[in-house]
This record gives sequence, C-alpha cells and structure tokens, in this order.
Amino acid sequence: MVSLDDIKKECKSILEKGKVKYIIGYKKKNNFYLSVPAFIEKVNEIDQLIWDPTCVYNLVRYLRDEKLRKERQKNPDTRPVGVIVKGCDSRSINVLLQEKFIKREDVFIIGVTCEKSGVIDEKKLNKKFEGNCIKKIEFNEDNNYVITLETGTTTVPYKEFLADRCVDCSHNTPLVYDVLMGKKVERSVSEPFKSLGRFESISTEEKWIFWKKELDKCIRCYACRSVCPMCYCDECVVDSINLAVNPDTTAEEKAQKIRWVEKSPVRSENFNYHLIRALHLAGRCTDCGECERVCPVDIPLRYLNKKMEKEANEQFGYIAGIDPEKPALVSCFKDDDPQDFIR
Amino acid sequence: MQKILLKKNLSSWLKKITAHRIYAPVKTGEVWSYELIDNPENITLDYPNTAIPPKKILFPQREVLLEFESSNEQEMKLTEVVPEELPTVIFGVRSCDARGLAKLEKIFKGGFEDIYFSKRNNLTILVGLACKIPISANCFCTSVDGSPHSEEGLDIVMTNIGEIYFVESFTKNGEKLIESGIDFFNDPEEKHKNELKQIHQESEKKIKQHFKGIDNITSRLTKMFESDIWDKESLSCIRCGVCTYSCPVCHCFDINDEVLCTFPLKGKRVRTWDNCQFPDFTMHSSGHNPRSNKASRLRQRIMHKFNYFNEECKECLCTGCGRCISQCPVGIDIVEILEKVNVYEE
Amino acid sequence: MEEKFEPKIVALLCKWCSSAGSDLAGVSRMKYPPNVVPITVMCSGSISPDYIFSAFKNGADGVLVSGCHPGDCHYIKGNYYARRRLALVKKLLEFIGIEPQRFQMSWVSAAEGAKFTQIIKDFVKELEPLGSQNKLRSNL
Repeated sequence: MVSLDDIKKECKSILEKGKVKYIIGYKKKNNFYLSVPAFIEKVNEIDQLIWDPTCVYNLVRYLRDEKLRKERQKNPDTRPVGVIVKGCDSRSINVLLQEKFIKREDVFIIGVTCEKSGVIDEKKLNKKFEGNCIKKIEFNEDNNYVITLETGTTTVPYKEFLADRCVDCSHNTPLVYDVLMGKKVERSVSEPFKSLGRFESISTEEKWIFWKKELDKCIRCYACRSVCPMCYCDECVVDSINLAVNPDTTAEEKAQKIRWVEKSPVRSENFNYHLIRALHLAGRCTDCGECERVCPVDIPLRYLNKKMEKEANEQFGYIAGIDPEKPALVSCFKDDDPQDFIR
Repeated sequence: MQKILLKKNLSSWLKKITAHRIYAPVKTGEVWSYELIDNPENITLDYPNTAIPPKKILFPQREVLLEFESSNEQEMKLTEVVPEELPTVIFGVRSCDARGLAKLEKIFKGGFEDIYFSKRNNLTILVGLACKIPISANCFCTSVDGSPHSEEGLDIVMTNIGEIYFVESFTKNGEKLIESGIDFFNDPEEKHKNELKQIHQESEKKIKQHFKGIDNITSRLTKMFESDIWDKESLSCIRCGVCTYSCPVCHCFDINDEVLCTFPLKGKRVRTWDNCQFPDFTMHSSGHNPRSNKASRLRQRIMHKFNYFNEECKECLCTGCGRCISQCPVGIDIVEILEKVNVYEE
Repeated sequence: MEEKFEPKIVALLCKWCSSAGSDLAGVSRMKYPPNVVPITVMCSGSISPDYIFSAFKNGADGVLVSGCHPGDCHYIKGNYYARRRLALVKKLLEFIGIEPQRFQMSWVSAAEGAKFTQIIKDFVKELEPLGSQNKLRSNL
C-alpha cells in the first residue's frame, strides 16, 4: 500500500530545501469525498495532500500553465515544479519531453504506483450508491476500496468500481520519476484493445449510427481539449482567430479566410472537431481517460483515441510515452510501413 | 388555481394539449436532457436535473440571424431569419432553472428587445416540478434568494405527493393549460394542502450547501477587483467552458458569418453560445487580449454574477442550481469562492 | 427523366509526380471520367488530415490522395510520412462509419498517365453504388 506519510515526507523535504517552486498534488474537496488538484507552496500546507482512489486527475496538464507563466515573466524562477504522477500521467510527461515542450529539469516527478488496482470511476460509484452519501474512499492493504458512507463503512473489491482506463492499463508504475512511492507490481493486460471489440463485428452503417448519436450530443464546451495535457497549441484548429481586419478588407477576403471548423455545434462541425482532434493525438494520447471523464454529456471519447492507439501499435509497433528519446509516431517512418491500402 | 392530478392521468392531460410543442426531460444513456416529445406516454417526471438547462430551448446554442447572398460586388441580398412563434410547453422545469429563465427575460427583453428570444418565449408555457429533496449535493438555491418550490418564472408548479401531483397555476396561461384537460383534474382536499405545505417546508431544510453572505457580497466584491484571491482560486481552472454552458443564466454569445459557398457568395450570419472562460473570448482583432490569464477570467465570472448585475438589477445572476460545481472537471466550487471572498483579508 | 448519380471526387495530387501523371493522361488524350476535381499540392507529405475532412465536409463523395512512389519523392521523404499519416486517417474514417471505398491513396509517377486514368475509372465505378456522401457533408 502506498504510504501517504512517505509522500508527505518527500514533499516536505523538497519544499523545505527549496528544490521546487511548488508541488502539484491532490487534496480533499471541502465536504465532499472527491479529491481536487492542490498547489502547495508552503511547508505548512503539506498536510492537505492526500492519496486515495479518487486521485483521478492528470496533473501533468498544469505543467502547461507553468510554462505559460514563466514565458510571461521577465526573470522567471527557473527551479522545477514538483508534480505527483501515476503511471499513465508519467507517460504524458514522456510525450511532453519527447516533443521538447518541457525540459526534464523543469519538473521534479514524484511517482506513485497504482500497485494492483487504480482509480475509481465516479459514475459507477454514483450508480451503486445513489442517494447514500459517500464521505471518504481509501485504499486498503490489498488495494481494494474502503468506502465510508453516511450509514457505515464497507470494503469493496477494486474491480467493481475501477475506471475503464485502469482496466486496460499495463503501465501501473511510473516510467519516469525522481522518487517512487509504493511497490512495483507487474501488470500485463492480455487484450489491451478489448474495448474496441464491439466495433469489430458491426457494419459500417451501424458504426455511423453509433457515432452520429454520440457526437450529436456534443455542445463543444471543449472540456475534452482543455483537460488534455497534449492539447497545448497556442491556437487550436477550432479557434482560427488570426484575421487582420482593416476597412479595406472585402467581403470576399473575409469569406475566403480558412476556418476548418465553425463554431456552430452541428453534426458536420462536431465530427470535424473530434476527428481532427483524434488525429492530432495519434501516437501522443496515453489514455489517461480524462477527456471521457470530464465530458458533461457522456460521449465515449476514449474509443476514438484508443482506435488510433491500436493502429499505432499494430501497424507501426508504436506505443506513446514510453521512450522520450524516440521520434514521435508521425515524425518517423519505416521502409516497410504497411501500404497494401495504396494502389 | 389549485388542483390535483392522478399520476396515471398525466399522459391523458398531455394528449389534450398536443397543439403545443411539448418539451420534457428525456434520459439517453446516463444523461438527462430536454427533448421534443412526440408521444406523451413517454414523459416521466421522476428525474434529477438535466445536464444542460432549458435555456437551450428559448436561447438555442445556434441561432441563424440572417442569410446573405451576392452574385456581384455591388449587391448583397439579405434575408432576415426570425424564429416562428410556436405554442410550446416545457415540462419538468426545476425552480432554479425557471428563475434563470426569468432573469434571461430581464436581460433579453429589458431595454433593447432581442427578437429571437422574444419570439421563442412569447407562446411558451413553463410547467415546473418542485424539488422534494435537493437533486444534487451541490444545490444552493436558498442561498441566492430562491427555493426548491419557488414559482418565479413558472406558469404552473407541480409537486409530487405519492400517487398524485399537486398542480398549482400562477398565471392566466397556466390556468388555461389546466383547463384544456380539466376532466382529469380534481379539487384538492385539506389533507393534500397540508401535505404540500409540509413537503415544501422540509425540502428547504434538506438543502446541504448554505452560503449566508449573499446580501453583502456585492459590496465586498467591489473592493476586490485587484485582490490576489483570484490568482489563488483559479490555479486549478483548465479554462474549459462547462460551467458557463451548463449555467441556467449565462448568456454570452458570439456572432459569426458562416460562408457556405464563395461564388456566388452565400452564407449565414449565426449567433452561437460563447464562453467567458475561453482564452480568446476577449481577443481583439489587434491581437491584444485584456483577459489573457485565468485569474482575470474567474474574476469576471464571479463579478458578473454577483456584482455587475446586482448593481443594475438588484439581483444576482445565479440561481443556485449547482451544475457548475457538479460538472467542473477539477472541482472548482463557486460557493467556496464566495465564502472565501466574504472573509478575505488582504 | 432521372439523372444518373455522378460522384464528385477530390484528388489531391503531388505536383512532381501524380499531377504530372494526370497531365500526361490529358496530353495523350486518354479518356477518363470528368468527375475529378484535381488539386495540386507540393508533396503528398504536406497533406494535412484537415484537407481530407474539409473535402468531405464540402460535399466530396470520394477523396483520392496520390503521390510519388516510395523512394522517388522529390523531397526525399515526404511520401513516407504521408503513408503513415494517411493510413491513420483511413482507419479513423472507417471506424466512424464512412464507407472505406470513399478514401483512397495511390502512387502515380509522372510517366503513369495510364495508371492514373485507370484509378479514376475504377474509383468512379466503386462510388456509383454508394451514392451521395451525406454523412460528413456540411449541414450549416
């Protein structure tokens, strides 16, 4: 079992010694059982840190804010930022390192293993305990979940509420870290792309009907894009805002300005946005599952990114976020890349 | 007018009002949303709340304003597109959402009348559903001058009392709607009225989130524009847009020209929901962005809701539905922020 | 009288090989169906997935991307990157329910006018039974 005291001790040490500017971790939300991201600057705030099955957030997302903050300052503090990462999150860091978005010395990584289990799926929990107030959830020695309700405490096997992305995960130990908390437990998934099986046997028309129904719900809130650590473009393809307009700009010029995706949440634009996003994440998505978790209308976004992951793996032997020294999926090629689809 | 309706007669009443378009909450997968109903048998009024509030019916996410067409450089043919006034009934509106629509009416009809909202709103009747228990742990309607059974903005309020609904109308339109199915209604007895009173009183007590400082929040905020509280509270914000899109009162919009064909030049001028939390919300065409950092955008949201609007209309732009808290990807809590503002010392 | 469905194909052709190949077909008076809208790009490697989705959004019934044969790219490696990237595009389009015949790729050199002609003829034949592409077409 991961010792929260060890995590706190390590964080206290690096903060006291001034090794890091601040630490990004998890703390408990007031009056609620879920955790929220925490930004610990002072040593006396270390006690806020927690480690429990509700620590679902991919905190690597906040490294982007830190980079932006540094760029805006005249004499920025060049010390690294401490960040608590799980296995999936550490792969996100590897992708950012691979793309030279951040430097290794910009971040002090406190890796925490998920040992046998992983984080919970809030929606599965709410379904089971509807109406009953959940006060706290903790890991026990066997990595199962101990749930404290208003009516009492119960221990449940982790498999019942494990997040889907943890079911498919074989990287439960961080791949890059400065310190590691918890035991390394080998986990291998025999069928990592099992969830895509439901699409294998259905016809083209049935696939279309499925995606039409799902993507028609999209309200283009861009929560999926905003929570993703890899979506760090200053100007996203949907934002197209660079248009210098002066009194002489004609209607034709304005009309011909390229806008790949319009703002209207109609079917063609929703599809356009999600397809472009899936392709921009091909070979970069590490399946942290955040996009699907944050969607307010429950679109199963992981399928799109998982499909790209599967193709990257099966056609090109590529897995995202393993080796930051290797080139990215689409910036390299092999002489024998498959081409039987090409005439 | 006060009546009672047996639950099994609900669809019979609805079949009598089919001259109206009927909207009601429908569940798709695990998510509830307001949809047009073709078969009144399918309406169930036993639901928490929708992910997106009913503002989307009167203020749709996409509204075509006009269409333009030009086959030469001199002439541009413009066709205004104004929505039809259609008799509409929206069922199952929670009091917080109804108060939100009432506030939207003040905004879209006060001063300059927004014809798109007006046309959709004029023949719309809102039938509310009182909350017996708070529909989410994050509800705080009582903290912003609301209540789980408030009739503000509603034509009818229905309350679930076991096998029957207690149906009370507050406007002429509500009365007429009941009268169109009057055969299915009965007069309430004393015991029904007592039960209604008890349910309403208890529903207020069951709300968990309370914020007591709403009366002096406006004056406190006026002094806190330059405070560093906004930097601290916005640290975890990922500037997505869920809070604003799911708010019953937020109403900012963007207007764009969507070109369908460049020769002949044809297109539509479209109004879509916009979001003050998006980084390019205040982007000027010069490239300058006055709200380029998260802290200023969070401050804008809180100020707009609890300071700027109060100064004009003496009420806040929040109805306490709690959606922004439940749906925020990183757990930012507007009530927590208000409580901190109330006690903040520089 | 009912009009026969004529599929509209957008062909993204690389300037140095495929576009020249299509020119050769024209100069040699080889006949091929007029359903193609040719767009010349500098290299098949410069083709972003945005272009393909944009073509479908604007009403294309089929999209063809054609470049130099592997090893013959004017920019040495461009077509290798295209091969990888567009393989992903093809799989994604199939995954969401677009008929796989609607997006095709080919290697056509500047001397292969006949091959280009045959590709277009076959493409039109494959698209005719599928009908108009209305799934990704803009509904603004």
